[in-house]
Amino acid sequence: MSSLSLYGVSFDLVHLLLTSIGSVLPYPLDAWITNGTLVLVLSVLVFAAILLAASMINTIVLIWWERKLLGRFMDRRGAMHVGYAGLLQNFADGLKLFRKHTFKPAEADTLGFFSGPTAYMVTSMILFGVLPISTGWNSGSLPLSLLLALAIFSFAPLFIFVSAWSSNNKYSLMGGMRSAAQMIAYEVPLLLAVVAVVIVSGSFDLTTIVTEQQNYWFWGPLFLALVVFVAGMLAEMERIPFDLPEAEAELVEGWNTEYGGMLFAFFMLADYLRGLVGSFLVVLLFLGGWTMPSWVPGALTNFPLAGIFWFLVKTYLVFGLFVWIRASLPRVRTDQLLRVGWNRMIPLSLAAVFLAAALVTVKCLPVFGCLPSPGV
Amino acid sequence: MQSDDVARTVAAQIGERFLGLEPFPRTAGRLRFRSEAALPLFHTVKEQLGFHHLSMVGGIDWVTHREVFYVVWSDDRRQYLLLSADLPAAAPHIESAASVWPAANWHERETWELVDIQFDHHPDLRHLLLPDGYEAHPLLRSFQLHEPEELEVKQRSV
Amino acid sequence: MWINMGPQHPMTHGLWNLRVKIDGELITDCDPEMGYLHRGIEKISEDRHYNEVITLMDRTCYVAGFAWEHLYVLAAEEALHIQPPERAEYLRTLCEEFQRIGSHLMWYAAFVQDIGLMSPFLYGMRDRDLVLDLFQSYTGARMTYEYMRVGGVRNDLPPGFTGHARKVLDWLSDRFVEYDRLCLGSDIFRKRCDGLGVLSAADCVATGVTGPMLRSAGVKRDVRRDRPYAAYPQLDFDVAVADGADVTARYLVRMEEMRQSVRLLRQVLDWLDHHPGPVLADRLPRWLGAPYAPVGKEEYVLKRNYPKGVGFSSIEEPHGEAQAYVVNEGSEHPYRVKFRSPVFANLSATRHYLVGYRVADIPPIMGSVDICVGEVDR
Repeated sequence: MSSLSLYGVSFDLVHLLLTSIGSVLPYPLDAWITNGTLVLVLSVLVFAAILLAASMINTIVLIWWERKLLGRFMDRRGAMHVGYAGLLQNFADGLKLFRKHTFKPAEADTLGFFSGPTAYMVTSMILFGVLPISTGWNSGSLPLSLLLALAIFSFAPLFIFVSAWSSNNKYSLMGGMRSAAQMIAYEVPLLLAVVAVVIVSGSFDLTTIVTEQQNYWFWGPLFLALVVFVAGMLAEMERIPFDLPEAEAELVEGWNTEYGGMLFAFFMLADYLRGLVGSFLVVLLFLGGWTMPSWVPGALTNFPLAGIFWFLVKTYLVFGLFVWIRASLPRVRTDQLLRVGWNRMIPLSLAAVFLAAALVTVKCLPVFGCLPSPGV
Repeated sequence: MQSDDVARTVAAQIGERFLGLEPFPRTAGRLRFRSEAALPLFHTVKEQLGFHHLSMVGGIDWVTHREVFYVVWSDDRRQYLLLSADLPAAAPHIESAASVWPAANWHERETWELVDIQFDHHPDLRHLLLPDGYEAHPLLRSFQLHEPEELEVKQRSV
Repeated sequence: MWINMGPQHPMTHGLWNLRVKIDGELITDCDPEMGYLHRGIEKISEDRHYNEVITLMDRTCYVAGFAWEHLYVLAAEEALHIQPPERAEYLRTLCEEFQRIGSHLMWYAAFVQDIGLMSPFLYGMRDRDLVLDLFQSYTGARMTYEYMRVGGVRNDLPPGFTGHARKVLDWLSDRFVEYDRLCLGSDIFRKRCDGLGVLSAADCVATGVTGPMLRSAGVKRDVRRDRPYAAYPQLDFDVAVADGADVTARYLVRMEEMRQSVRLLRQVLDWLDHHPGPVLADRLPRWLGAPYAPVGKEEYVLKRNYPKGVGFSSIEEPHGEAQAYVVNEGSEHPYRVKFRSPVFANLSATRHYLVGYRVADIPPIMGSVDICVGEVDR
């Protein structure tokens, strides 16, 4: 089962396709078309296309989900008119942004202004390819996939800062500064919270982490780590209450003040992609990934694509929590945010690591119950 | 509280330059004074009579002359007092009240640009509502409302 | 580094420009720049009939049109020596208090939005709509009412209005509790607002700051109580004060003011139920202009030498103490109209309550001032 991966499937698909085409072609062509390099290149492209489609559709549905949920929290209905319950509204919005003229302020630095949002978008997309969504839906074996995901995740401040600085706008610059300070401050507790998970599961491989949770989700014993992780994730995703880099009340739109049209759409999409990835990580690390507890009736877990289905349900619920937080909390101030980050979150995350280590040593805590035997 | 002590105190302070206290409905009255007595009068009204709050400064163009009026309020008396002084139509000027009531700052800037009354020793007499470098004074009777004005706005240097 | 916050900026809530000098995130100086919305209302008024000026008053402050109408008609009546009937005075009080609630709800919505609270913004707007619906039911308009007249008001209330209005008041009283829970109950809200934008009582008086900002510093000054006008002498209410003089105190004062307005409105509605009568003075001069009276009341003789006079009025507008000075020289048009806008004075003190705080504090502080640029620029 574990050998079956999305990349493997697309490789097989391309291979099958090319050999069947090659079998009807004359001599020099058939050898050339079934040659390994071409198969490899094409299968990577197919893999990427599937990922792109899946991530884009998910992102856009996520935006819809946020709008509807936010609408309900605010005593209104959210988007209603385009498509059923406004499902197509975001496609219309995207199309509108796509049609817009892409412009650059006269004083802005061309290279940074255009490469910043592009790189931000691209790194966020790469993230999507690293994460396993269900058994089979991954890129094969990546023993350090968790580490890789977090490393790519932390590229963002660099690109945000590049695009902010090259916009040559005072608001953008301040937003970029805030963004960099905030992301670096919250990277540390975030990683420490992940360390707690790694200690308990004994692996950096997300697939292994999920299998470890087969009958025992980590949110119970590692509750402290979960809290730290969610708070750090909120800061990394720059959502209320930690959205001060783009605090519109004082900084207009923060680091994307000068962006419009498709470049703005890049930022917007990448933000939601990161929101999606953040929710994925919460589900993978703490909520058992695509697994369901054993008391859930088999009929609910055994239908085709059940793994993906439950994974997405959990993801959207987690994202719903983020939306709920956004709907009900005001924004904090930079100094308060940083003080909380360095003075509260880091000790808390250290405590979480300590707790996890204790849990592994004792094996069985009366409050949290017993752990399955840790992986190697 | 009665308002006759207002007249008495002011008369004692600025003497001849106090031109009388006319009754004005539901206020302590309208106090007329000569413009050269402005600063001592302001000090008297604020410090001796307790009118600590300056709420309005305005100007009226009477064509033959200009009038500048102040509205002040006393929390103890719970009464308004109107101060008014006539200024010549040519080069009207009066001492700024901003040193006595800081609140006068913006009101005087506005009166200066709209009614063309010069406030001497004002800390910051710049345009407030009109663009920088605007020459005309719209609230003068001679200002024609019907003809659109060509505006030439200077770029502010920051 | 000087940055221009405005004229198009989410914080400004209107067209003005707050220039702030910053050192890192610290504010070291500031200079508000006004005039982007200057329409010369005082000049235009000199060319209008007395009743036609009321149209301009609605546009002076677009969220508190009734208050400005009231201010102007009070001054004009004094200048023209006209006495409105008693029921009209109660109706004006009704308008002004409902307008105060409407304006404060608008402030609440904008203020919470400024500090990043998203949902209460819509709650505030939703509840303000109920007030606007009431306005619409008897003036026909939601923003620019043109309802008051020199000498009374245009028309009486429609049947069933008072019952409906009481229901709205009940609903609003419950919502105020909810608002407080949402804001004061939130730690982040308190952290963002406590001790910010402090303007001591002495500074308030010196710089001419009035209204909720002054009362938040503990000074119990309210024109409705100190120099009562319209129906206020007969009504019972408390002046809302708080101490602390910071953003939270201003929030508390405005919330309490809305509660007091509800209390005032209940009394006004009871009075209106039991005292029918005319709402416009008889024998008004025809040249007051504009359709001002029901047919049959226009028989007053045209009299060129109408007594001259000067009218001065002062009311407690939602933002503070507003004043009007109307000079009547015996013609159809006012000779000079001068207004005092409370926000004008409150903004002139910006340097006193902004310098020394951080850039991120500007939205809560300026939000707590409750700016309406229309009445600053006029």
